[in-house]
Amino acid sequence: MRPDDALAPVLAFERVTRWYGHVVALMDVSFEVGREVVGLVGQNGVGKSTLMKLAAGLLRPSQGQVRVCGRDATTRAARSEVGYCPDFEALPEGCSGAHYVTNLLRYHGHGARSAAERARAVLQELGLGQHLDRSIGEYSKGMRQRVRLAQALAHEPRFVLLDEPMTGLDPVARSELAVTIRALPARGIGVLVSSHVLHELESVVDRVVLVHQGRLLASGRIGELRRLVPELPQRVRLVAARQRELAACLLQLPQVVAVNLTDRDQELQVTVQQPREFLRELTRLGASGSFVIEAVQMMDDNLASVFGHLVG
Amino acid sequence: MTSAPQPPGVLGTAWLTAAQTLQAVVRVRRVVTLLLLVLGYAAVTFLLGNRAKEGMDLRVLYCTLAWWLVGTAILPFASMYFGVQAVHGDIEDRTSCYLFVRPIDRTGLLLGKWAAAAVLAVVTTCLTTAAPFFALAAQPGGWGDGVDMAALRTFVLAFALGAVAYVSVAVLFGALFRRPLVWSALFVVGLQMVTGNLPVSAGLRRLTITDPMRRLVLDGIEPDQRLTQLLWPAERRIGFDQIGQPVCDLLVLTCVTLLLAIWRYRRAEYDSRARD
Repeated sequence: MRPDDALAPVLAFERVTRWYGHVVALMDVSFEVGREVVGLVGQNGVGKSTLMKLAAGLLRPSQGQVRVCGRDATTRAARSEVGYCPDFEALPEGCSGAHYVTNLLRYHGHGARSAAERARAVLQELGLGQHLDRSIGEYSKGMRQRVRLAQALAHEPRFVLLDEPMTGLDPVARSELAVTIRALPARGIGVLVSSHVLHELESVVDRVVLVHQGRLLASGRIGELRRLVPELPQRVRLVAARQRELAACLLQLPQVVAVNLTDRDQELQVTVQQPREFLRELTRLGASGSFVIEAVQMMDDNLASVFGHLVG
Repeated sequence: MTSAPQPPGVLGTAWLTAAQTLQAVVRVRRVVTLLLLVLGYAAVTFLLGNRAKEGMDLRVLYCTLAWWLVGTAILPFASMYFGVQAVHGDIEDRTSCYLFVRPIDRTGLLLGKWAAAAVLAVVTTCLTTAAPFFALAAQPGGWGDGVDMAALRTFVLAFALGAVAYVSVAVLFGALFRRPLVWSALFVVGLQMVTGNLPVSAGLRRLTITDPMRRLVLDGIEPDQRLTQLLWPAERRIGFDQIGQPVCDLLVLTCVTLLLAIWRYRRAEYDSRARD
């Protein structure tokens, strides 16, 4: 990797529009992905998979340009830099995982032996070491997912597209996959990952791109996005002694919309506008010695609440 | 320092694809099943020959069986099935996307699949053409002028060329249609079985694969009046000046359909979601 490559985007959507006949799947979408993990968030049917396929070079944009490592995504040169893990389970049933990944690696110019060695190494790294030569037809859902991931990573691409990679995985497999995805940028690989499981995506991504009805709604770090919507009321969980007195005191603050006493001892939930100002006031209150506040937790500073607010 | 591997060109891709497709299709169980079917077919032909040899020249029986059973039924259906499955099978089960994201030209992919399907079709056709021949050749007394090896050569050549042409059409259908097997059935029944058997005066039959294949057979086996009528009931007075250039016709048809298939396969997006 050249030093200037580190900063160059591995994926760039430039005013991309895509129609299916008269149906607009994506409209004027522009964003970039560097060597980082970017989450693609949106409801079903808003154009996430279309966007993924455009990035993989499987579809052509009706307008605009999709570039991978500076090249048109549909060119052979761009495709050699991309790894694509689709959102469906399909894999050939008759051959083993190692054999299938080996076969696909041959199309990247690997000889038979080096392709086989590389395929086995990648599958082993992904935890399929014990099942390399078993038929894919006998694999579990999680094992199939690893084969799909292996075929996307085996040729050492600079950019990986993961379309709903967590779907159908058990919690352990999800957490292992999250660790694998998180490790990719350190190897110089940019990642665009889509998922419905927002809280899991949140733990994996550096940035998110929110898509709604074919349009790019917002993009950035989750905290940045949260600040883009200051009018969104936010819930804050507080643990403090004398919770009733504290609740009465908090209700005097202009930022506080509501205070709820919870069933748990010493806990209350405060709904606030302008959370920064509220936290400043809360700090002042704690410093004055009137109340001992043991814990503060921002409950809505997450992707799901931002997304929910933005799409209504 | 080792250089990064370079993706294969069109021919390299075609070679890899053909090898991988054959590897995926040829399984011990399938080969054994095919061989058992061929042996069964040979056994039935042997019994048929044994009963018919008193009243019929076994050469005539072989030519009739080979043409009507293999040439107009087994060959077209098997070839079309192999061709369609090679190209459309992975589009249908969506595994084609793993190939389409590789840094290779789709021309090579299609040529490889075509080659693999053609090999399968030719092998199947040759087996089903040769098995009854040897079953009948085991009864040399029934052959009027002795066992006619030239007839076997003629049928094998004509059917092999026909199989390749059928596979090319199937590959085009696989690249073009969402329901290629339905179109293939219509093509075989409507165009090959009906139109292909029209008399010489019907120019439309020249668009079929059956017609040049039969002209090649008639040219090779030099049939008498009776056998001619058995092979082409609609045409009673075929003249050898009407044989034309059947090999050339088959090659032109193969090339044109293959080029159209490549053109379509390279351009199409085969979006799995749109197909749902």
